Amino acid sequence: MQKRIRRRYAAERRFKFMGLAAVVLSAGFLAFLLVTMLSNGLAGFSRTEVALPIDFPAAKLDVTAKQLQNRGADLALAGAGLDEVVDKAATAAFGEQGIDIISDRAWTEVREALKSDPTLLSRKARIDVPVSQDVQNALDGGGKPAMRAIVSGMQAKGLFSNKFDFGFLTSADSTDPTNVGIWGALKGSLFTMLVTLLIAFPIGVLSAVYLEEYAPRNRWTDLIEVSINNLAAVPSIIFGLLGLAVFLSFLNLPRSASLVGGLTLALMIMPVIVIASRNAIKAVPPSIRDAALGVGASKVQVIFHHVLPLALPGILTGTIIGMARALGETAPLLMIGMRAFIAQPPEGLTDPATVLPVQIFLWSDQVSRGFVERTSAAIIVLLVFLLAMNALAIYLRNRFETRW
Amino acid sequence: MTDIQAPAVRTNQTDPAVAAPAQIKMTARDVNVFYGANHAIKDVSIDVDMENVTAFIGPSGCGKSTFLRTLNRMNDTISIAKVTGDITLDGEDIYSSDMDVVQLRARVGMVFQKPNPFPKSIYENVAYGPRIHGLAPARRDMDQIVESALRRAGLWEEVKDRLSDSGTALSGGQQQRLCIARAIAVDPEVILMDEPCSALDPIATAKIEELIHALRGKYAIVIVTHNMQQAARVSQKTAFFHLGHLVEYGETSEIFTNPRQERTKDYITGRYG
Ligand SMILES: Nc1ncnc2c1ncn2[C@@H]1O[C@H](COP(=O)(O)OP(=O)(O)OP(=O)(O)O)[C@@H](O)[C@H]1O
Ligand SMILES: [Mg+2]
Repeated sequence: MQKRIRRRYAAERRFKFMGLAAVVLSAGFLAFLLVTMLSNGLAGFSRTEVALPIDFPAAKLDVTAKQLQNRGADLALAGAGLDEVVDKAATAAFGEQGIDIISDRAWTEVREALKSDPTLLSRKARIDVPVSQDVQNALDGGGKPAMRAIVSGMQAKGLFSNKFDFGFLTSADSTDPTNVGIWGALKGSLFTMLVTLLIAFPIGVLSAVYLEEYAPRNRWTDLIEVSINNLAAVPSIIFGLLGLAVFLSFLNLPRSASLVGGLTLALMIMPVIVIASRNAIKAVPPSIRDAALGVGASKVQVIFHHVLPLALPGILTGTIIGMARALGETAPLLMIGMRAFIAQPPEGLTDPATVLPVQIFLWSDQVSRGFVERTSAAIIVLLVFLLAMNALAIYLRNRFETRW
Repeated sequence: MTDIQAPAVRTNQTDPAVAAPAQIKMTARDVNVFYGANHAIKDVSIDVDMENVTAFIGPSGCGKSTFLRTLNRMNDTISIAKVTGDITLDGEDIYSSDMDVVQLRARVGMVFQKPNPFPKSIYENVAYGPRIHGLAPARRDMDQIVESALRRAGLWEEVKDRLSDSGTALSGGQQQRLCIARAIAVDPEVILMDEPCSALDPIATAKIEELIHALRGKYAIVIVTHNMQQAARVSQKTAFFHLGHLVEYGETSEIFTNPRQERTKDYITGRYG
């Protein structure tokens, strides 16, 4: 007897230990992922800048301070040859390698500086401009030895500084890693998710309501049930092919558009929403339906006044799981052409767009070293997006949770 | 309909032992109910009086709940249930295609075995029925309906200061009275109660029984109960069901003191059940 009890306690302890080990293991993986992402990726959010002295009066830019405040300032500065002025200033400051030291988009920084402070035109100034990828590589201990020598010399003079790269959050893809931004992909993801939600949520919930509340139980509904369960398990690439066939080939919708991406992903997550919603509806206690019917509520009233509000937390959970899956999905979007190089953030649902995971996939494929950090930074953005979505889900669930 | 509710008939409602002169509210003729192949109710014919409380008694599984649910067509929600025979409310066939089932359930309310308040505020619980039937166009009317329903259910004094609390936060007995208030808020003509006290303690039970006395005469009341004393206390007519048959139906005092059927006697004296 004593022995049996001791054995039982030992088994309990073993079980508890195994559970704890499993939790620790998964937490460890998560921590590893986060640490590597953060250590790599945080650098992706910043950029190195070099202080570039420019003598504006000497450069004789053919623009007036007045022009700089107009809307045509960009055009005026480009026409006045600002990029050449900047290149010359770089050569003057850093020697004949100067042009290679500053980034190709350095002159746009100068342009912005001029626009925000037109008085610069009448004096000498030092403006921080982004460095080129070569310099970045050299600073990281790579690149050509000649460049490394120049860079270490400049470093000793304290010319470099590290700044948060707002450009990364506001611009789109580019061939130059110092120039790329995540905003295009983020906006594409937002548009795509919007379409997915607007299509998949109402259709999924209404299907679930119909199947649970109205559909007769017969061979047809059994067949539909089996198909839905199977659809939820179909690999996403198949949905990509389906989207390609239906939306692009048959309906002739624009290629690479977030509209098509959203529709395709909606097809993919609809079964998930239907299944989750049906379970949530099933879990509403029958006594509540009886109560409502008993005071003379019609079936529609029972569903909309009692069943759906009580099922809402479950429905939302299922929807968010589906949306999170859609947010991270790459394969089906490749099929419908969302892997194109897109240097302009999309303006509308039919503009060519890309999404975060595809952008990550594309950048991770690049040979240039600068893309490694950018890729990690993009992953961080994706994870933050995901986290925000899940936080919203938890908030909504708690908000609508009924306390019994 | 109007002469059935004539006040003159209500004179002896205060004496629970005496059945009032019959004013028939609902009739059932040769009712059969099938759950698939299971023949749950067999050729039951019965008249439910307006002025009396009718008790359904019988051993578990004999079909009391099933029959009660045919009276407001709650069996419609069970897909395998099939009902045959005629049931009328004030002479109208309730299973005819002219009868709107939503309207019917507003006229024939139901209180269930397990208290089942909506997970909403006490006020909302009572106001829900009147609202969906458009009984109270203005907020003030609704307040009045809610208050009078809660008063008639004997719950007002206990909850008047916390009408916005959740109905599910009440005690079991309070919840059941809330359910009764919810049922009478739509001003039904008949109230069906399926073992309303089975989940309650003796004090809460006594409150519900008092309530039934108070409601007698205003509504036709049918109550299913397993408690013989309760049937004797609250009802004037008793129907004994056994294996889907209506074995005996008559004045409660008759059934309990002088049953005509052997099976009724056996059940009442506790020889089976
Ligand atoms: N929803 C249902 N589906 C199938 N059969 C049912 C259903 N409800 C009741 N039955 C069957 O009908 C018969 C009568 O059941 P009913 O619930 O009416 O009995 P009851 O007299 O109310 O019993 P109790 O006193 O235990 O509540 C039983 O044989 C039961 O199995
Ligand atoms: Mg029952």
